Amino acid sequence: MSKIWTRMGDGQAVEMTSDELRKDMMEASEDAADKGKVPILEDNEIDKLMEIFSAPWRVIGVEPGHEVPLTKDETACTLVSSQLSSGAHLPISREAAVEVFERVFAFDTMELGWIDYSFKPAKPMVSLDQVSIERLLATTVIPILYGAMPNMGLYYTPDGPYTNPADLLGMMKVEEAREEEMKAAELCMEDMIFVCKRMDEIGADGIDFDTTASAGDADFLATLKTVEELKKTTNLGIEVGMSGEFILGMHGEVEYKGKRLAGMFPQDQLKVVEEAGADIFGPVVNTKTNKSAAWNVARAVTFVKEVCKQATIPIHANVGMGVGGTPMFETPPVDALSRASVAMVEIAKVDGL
Amino acid sequence: MANEDFYTEAMAAIRACDREKATDVATRALAAGVAPDDMLKLGFIPGIAKMGDLFERGEVFLPELVLAADAMTGAADVCNAALPEGAGQKKATVVIGTVQGDVHDIGKTIVVAFLRANGYDVHDLGRDIAADKFISKAEEVGAEVIGMSALLTTTMREQIRVLEALNEAGLRDKYKVIVGGGASTQQWADKIGADAYAEDANDGVRKINQLTGN
Repeated sequence: MSKIWTRMGDGQAVEMTSDELRKDMMEASEDAADKGKVPILEDNEIDKLMEIFSAPWRVIGVEPGHEVPLTKDETACTLVSSQLSSGAHLPISREAAVEVFERVFAFDTMELGWIDYSFKPAKPMVSLDQVSIERLLATTVIPILYGAMPNMGLYYTPDGPYTNPADLLGMMKVEEAREEEMKAAELCMEDMIFVCKRMDEIGADGIDFDTTASAGDADFLATLKTVEELKKTTNLGIEVGMSGEFILGMHGEVEYKGKRLAGMFPQDQLKVVEEAGADIFGPVVNTKTNKSAAWNVARAVTFVKEVCKQATIPIHANVGMGVGGTPMFETPPVDALSRASVAMVEIAKVDGL
Repeated sequence: MANEDFYTEAMAAIRACDREKATDVATRALAAGVAPDDMLKLGFIPGIAKMGDLFERGEVFLPELVLAADAMTGAADVCNAALPEGAGQKKATVVIGTVQGDVHDIGKTIVVAFLRANGYDVHDLGRDIAADKFISKAEEVGAEVIGMSALLTTTMREQIRVLEALNEAGLRDKYKVIVGGGASTQQWADKIGADAYAEDANDGVRKINQLTGN
């Protein structure tokens, strides 16, 4: 039986038979269905995935008319940061990099953010970023967002004022850990609101809260409450992108509008993001490096398809290094990346990437 | 009370994350003549395995996992004390930390809880740990395994420094070295010469079991 050239979840090239690919896809879809309590992919969707993975071309694309907007997160770091941070380390400004993404790579929206890409360090620099946003608004035609991560871990020792809950949990001080988490969430929220309101002042088109919930359920709560506040008081468009496929219960009992956040899978995350008032949701499904690309794409598509089915706002799935079925590799192989992207559009029916 | 009832009660105590109940049922079971290794293998270990599964499914959370690991440790201490000399369930000693320059330690904390729950003697160094600290602690506590976490592509290279420092000190063969963290892969572990790569906490336990022959 002829073999199909494909990838593993860590980017290694591998050859698999059609039967092996199909078996991986079905197993992955069942895994997602079991964990996330979502329906498995239907036979015709597995057939479509097989078609995507069997295509002999290195790079593939969606059918004409199925194109979706491309939204770039992590600011323009791909061009300006070093290779150690998955970047090209070009000696250009962040503003020039945004313009390159618009005019050379044809991205449909872009964002600017502080090089560290977290709200806390961006706060004292916000006046500089206001100037950059103002200039970009004048020199580009695509929507320009300001992007940053809540990154609530920066509010714990050694970076912040509160005792690290990981240390407290190690000492079995659960209640103390939870108290510190809630204090950190308050401070994180204050910083996010401060920065975002400055961006509203300067006329930014929107905010991208990226990699949310990376420090767990309290981190997610801080983001949701910030979104709620911003929708009440500003005209900013808001995208909420996730950090992982389920909300880590660092606290375990944090609730938003009566719903426990810990343990939420993408379709449940969507609901609270919608309730908070966000305009775009960016689900994440994590890649397993020891599984094939076909396994990872099938699993990611199973989760995201259900998100798209339930959504009342546009869904822009995260597809890149280690997420959305893409291999965990600094510069994801274009063959695997294009297959994951096509599957997200043609099967999960995402509104954007 | 039948042995099965004690096993059920042991599992429930772990699920309830209750150290007092876990040690109590262990004590009562041993007094009633249940073999200590049976209590561990058929009661407490399935209980903690179930907690790991529920954690991965998002049905129990980190505080519960840590408390369940503590309950497991309490129960294991009671059972191990009743076993003949040298027959205890205590596994290898593991020194673990997040490498220098990296302060991300949520994932590492989960790994520590899983390892402790599975009977390992874990020395958690914390985060931002220099290469020489991994080695001095491993030497001090007689560890068999050194575990290193790094979340970022910018910090994962520090894992190489630890391996280099072990080589320079002539201690490389003395320890099994396992790496993990967001950006690590099996390819990375192979490239830098680590003994194993762990995809997640459960995989970490599995790999350390393999490395130490448990």
